[in-house]
Amino acid sequence: MSNSNELLKNIVGYWDGVERKQAREQVGTDFSEQKGKTASDIAKLHPKRLQLTVSEIFQDTPSTKTFRLVQSKQSLVNKPLPPFQAGQYINLYTTIDGVETARPYAISSCPTHREYYDLTVKIVDGGFVTNYLLGDEVKVGQEFSSTSPMGTFYHNPIFHGDDLVFLAGGSGGAPARSMIESALNRDSNINFHLVYGNSYENDVIFQDTFRELADKYDNFQLSEVISRPTEGYEGLTGHLSKELITELTGDASSKTFYICGPTPFNDYCVEQLKALGVEDKRMRIECNGPPKKPSCLDGWPEVVSEVDEVTVTVKGRGQFVAQAGEPLLNSLERNGYTVENACRSGECSLCRVKVLSGEVFNPPESLLRKSDKDFGWVHSCVAFPTTDIEILY
Amino acid sequence: MSDSLTSNDFDAIVIGAGNAGLTAATALQRGGAKTLLLERHNIPGGCATSFVRGEFEFEVALHQLSGLGTEDKPFIMRKIFGELGVMDKVEFVQEHELYRMAVKDEFDITLPASWTGIRNVLIENFPAEEAGIKTFMTLCEQVTMESFMGLPMARKMNSEEMLMKNCKNYAEHGLRDAKSVLDEHFESEQLKTLLAAYWCYLGMPPKDINFCDLAVMLYAYGVFKPWHIKGGSQALSSALLESFLEAGGEVRFNCSVERIVTDQSGDKPTVKGIVTEFGEEISTGQVISNASTVVTFGDLLDTPVMPEGISKDFKSRDIGTSAFCLYLGMDKTPEQLGIKNASTFLSQTMDEELMHDTMSTMNPPVATMLTCYNVDDPSFAPPGKSQISLLCLQYGSVWEDIPVEKYAETKYAFAEHLLNQAEEFFPGFRASIEEVEVATPLTMMRYLNTPGGAIYGFQQNPEDGPLHRPRYDDVNGLHIAGSWQGMGGFQPTYMVGTSTAQAIVKKLKKQRSAEAAKKEMGVANV
Ligand SMILES: Cc1cc2nc3c(=O)[nH]c(=O)nc-3n(C[C@H](O)[C@H](O)[C@H](O)COP(=O)(O)OP(=O)(O)OC[C@H]3O[C@@H](n4cnc5c(N)ncnc54)[C@H](O)[C@@H]3O)c2cc1C
Ligand SMILES: Cc1cc2nc3c(=O)[nH]c(=O)nc-3n(C[C@H](O)[C@H](O)[C@H](O)COP(=O)(O)OP(=O)(O)OC[C@H]3O[C@@H](n4cnc5c(N)ncnc54)[C@H](O)[C@@H]3O)c2cc1C
Ligand code: FES
Repeated sequence: MSNSNELLKNIVGYWDGVERKQAREQVGTDFSEQKGKTASDIAKLHPKRLQLTVSEIFQDTPSTKTFRLVQSKQSLVNKPLPPFQAGQYINLYTTIDGVETARPYAISSCPTHREYYDLTVKIVDGGFVTNYLLGDEVKVGQEFSSTSPMGTFYHNPIFHGDDLVFLAGGSGGAPARSMIESALNRDSNINFHLVYGNSYENDVIFQDTFRELADKYDNFQLSEVISRPTEGYEGLTGHLSKELITELTGDASSKTFYICGPTPFNDYCVEQLKALGVEDKRMRIECNGPPKKPSCLDGWPEVVSEVDEVTVTVKGRGQFVAQAGEPLLNSLERNGYTVENACRSGECSLCRVKVLSGEVFNPPESLLRKSDKDFGWVHSCVAFPTTDIEILY
Repeated sequence: MSDSLTSNDFDAIVIGAGNAGLTAATALQRGGAKTLLLERHNIPGGCATSFVRGEFEFEVALHQLSGLGTEDKPFIMRKIFGELGVMDKVEFVQEHELYRMAVKDEFDITLPASWTGIRNVLIENFPAEEAGIKTFMTLCEQVTMESFMGLPMARKMNSEEMLMKNCKNYAEHGLRDAKSVLDEHFESEQLKTLLAAYWCYLGMPPKDINFCDLAVMLYAYGVFKPWHIKGGSQALSSALLESFLEAGGEVRFNCSVERIVTDQSGDKPTVKGIVTEFGEEISTGQVISNASTVVTFGDLLDTPVMPEGISKDFKSRDIGTSAFCLYLGMDKTPEQLGIKNASTFLSQTMDEELMHDTMSTMNPPVATMLTCYNVDDPSFAPPGKSQISLLCLQYGSVWEDIPVEKYAETKYAFAEHLLNQAEEFFPGFRASIEEVEVATPLTMMRYLNTPGGAIYGFQQNPEDGPLHRPRYDDVNGLHIAGSWQGMGGFQPTYMVGTSTAQAIVKKLKKQRSAEAAKKEMGVANV
């Protein structure tokens, strides 16, 4: 080395550099004070996992409960959880009958109260996780782990503007509650209109909260719409048709719309807004899980039925039989394979696996990168194996 | 495991699938070493990645790939990518300009991607400086060629004569600061600012970078052209991974390395293996870390104290810059937005030191960079739309102290500064936004696991180049590959990954033939 240094001395400026370096050695730090800092800085905003305990359970409506979750660790109870943008979700992990799985839930509480996250869960007919969560087993004191808050469904002040409409259906009231309350708290320039569609008038999540907010804030309007009213119901009824939207909110073209509800509700709302000439950039739609009937979508192979059985081989690990109509992630979990996941809707790409052979149906929900398509990677949460397949992950 | 060279689980383990990690892993596996690649994120690439929002797939980092050359006039990266087996897996798109630089109230000039073209444009705009322009450009060419050919040869032979004969220009000017060389050649501040624009690819202002680094960038982009990749840098990252897998390599995503385990009985620690975040210990004799050196030696290495050589090196280092970046999906074409060039440097000032000083503050940036890939490649966005990245360099430290509950609002407020600048040069810009994602230095930190969210590794002062900083060899079997060893940027990290792997493959082969010889002798003895 020293010989080579001798040689380099012939280069103008080399020696000055050596001297500067030596001078810096005298005053600099070896970064030992930084030990663990990168990891802890990241964890302040985005810890990989949160350990949470149910501190309270509220029965909101006949179909819905809110679970208040606080940090599990004794030293952290009542300490603030990571910040989030109202509208974001966490993915809640559970083990039910030996199957490790997870579901994303919007945080329904406001980001200003971070000692807890509220998750508001509405029962789904035949739903694996909701039937467990809303059943008798889950009690105060139960622990869960989850991801940190994620998702892109929130008010982005850069381009969403101040004139906002939320079209919510059913459990869509959960993110709506957080977004509306935090927007009203934060910014008096914002005008928010919630058009809230529900099937039954006795099953409206956060009805009282929304009504109180509407009383308190001039810049918040609430319109409740019931699709299956009882006789004599006097409020608005029917679906959120373009006529109704126009009647309630006026000129739609300059507003930003947030849409969150069951998939058919979302699809219907988008169709109505498009008919009203609302541009793509003014519609923000929350993702909503895998398609329930993939075989009805364009591109599904005609010869395959959703109940057809296929063999899934996980390279180097084993194989199992699954149904073509079930998302690959679900069947992997049921068979004991753990795959990282969060949105379970095709959006976040955490659940990527590579298809080595066979065919998989990717619905439009699957936001694949170009190169993923080129090299056979899929988002397993919304991928449906339509033939026997071999995968790698 | 039976196909490993030794009794270890793997011949080599690569920590991190950034550019250097991917090229290292691919070269190792293709070179016959059984290799495991571990990445904490869910996708390969590190900086060289993309993400999808709505109809857009956003390129995260690559603005201009250097070192490729054209098919007729190939340069080193074509050879390297060929050897790594990815040339038929990706499609490169040539950009037709180096950059447009627009300084408010001063000048607005576009340099073409052609060496003679650059000269003509410069002379046309600065006729009085014709002579200086010619000598400066010749000097850039000479210094570049010498630094790639003459200098490595002279160092290999340790010959002063070769150095003075074959690297005369390098020896005289290569390690001078870029500003003094520019000052020596030119009168016009405008011309100097225009020619120094690429300093932001290094992160330090012209007075604090070696002239050779600026010369190489100008010459390499001018002669060998700037490129990007269809599908973005993610496509190249994924192609490298594909090549690695085809050769039989094993990869795990969502799997962070927590510890590098060493045997400390000798005078130098020797690598034995690694431990993953799931507590699994995997044995190997060679670890290539693409994670930052600060994390590798400070957090991962299991020795009770940091090796002395490392600690000494660190003391004369500073954490390099990060970036604040807006990824924008626009509902208009580049033409409709008035954007004619893929790369545009927008500035309020010609004072690079002011630009650099501003990078350690939350003040509105005085210089930004706007890249619109659609100009040369319409496939970068859906028809009628375009994708733009709007970026300023910024040190991460200013973000680390912001209270977490203020983070989101601070980030949107800072984004406004960049948008205001873009709006000034491209009226109507803001009204065309269809998607936007804001990345701060903390975002970079989250996805790269680098201190300060650094994107180019340590600061690149003149004394931080390879001549002043030999490779770390304080732990047997532990190799650093990436922007923290040498220089940041695409070409340098692809190259250092490949060369690190080649050296290991050579060593393993030697080891293997020695072992085979030993065995044979053993057999003979029996
Ligand atoms: C970002 C995001 C935020 C969300 N926020 C909320 C929230 O705040 N509150 C809330 O209540 N929900 C929310 N959800 C929905 C939630 O994640 C769950 O999808 C929902 O609770 C149902 O879970 P489950 O396990 O009970 O139903 P699942 O078992 O997942 O079943 C859902 C439906 O699919 C059907 N199904 C199941 N398996 C199959 C199969 N193999 N083939 C065909 N159909 C099948 C079921 O019969 C059922 O109708 C959110 C979803 C996303 C993506
Ligand atoms: C916004 C932006 C713009 C840029 N523009 C340009 C440009 O125009 N031109 C140019 O040449 N360069 C540019 N760069 C810089 C260039 O992208 C980087 O310098 C280069 O890609 C760094 O590569 P790397 O190999 O050092 O690794 P990185 O990309 O830093 O990757 C390191 C990898 O290691 C992983 N890792 C870290 N710790 C662990 C662990 N403990 N276990 C497992 N995995 C781990 C990380 O997750 C990451 O994937 C830009 C960068 C950014 C962010
Ligand atoms: S879990 Fe998000 S894409 Fe599958």
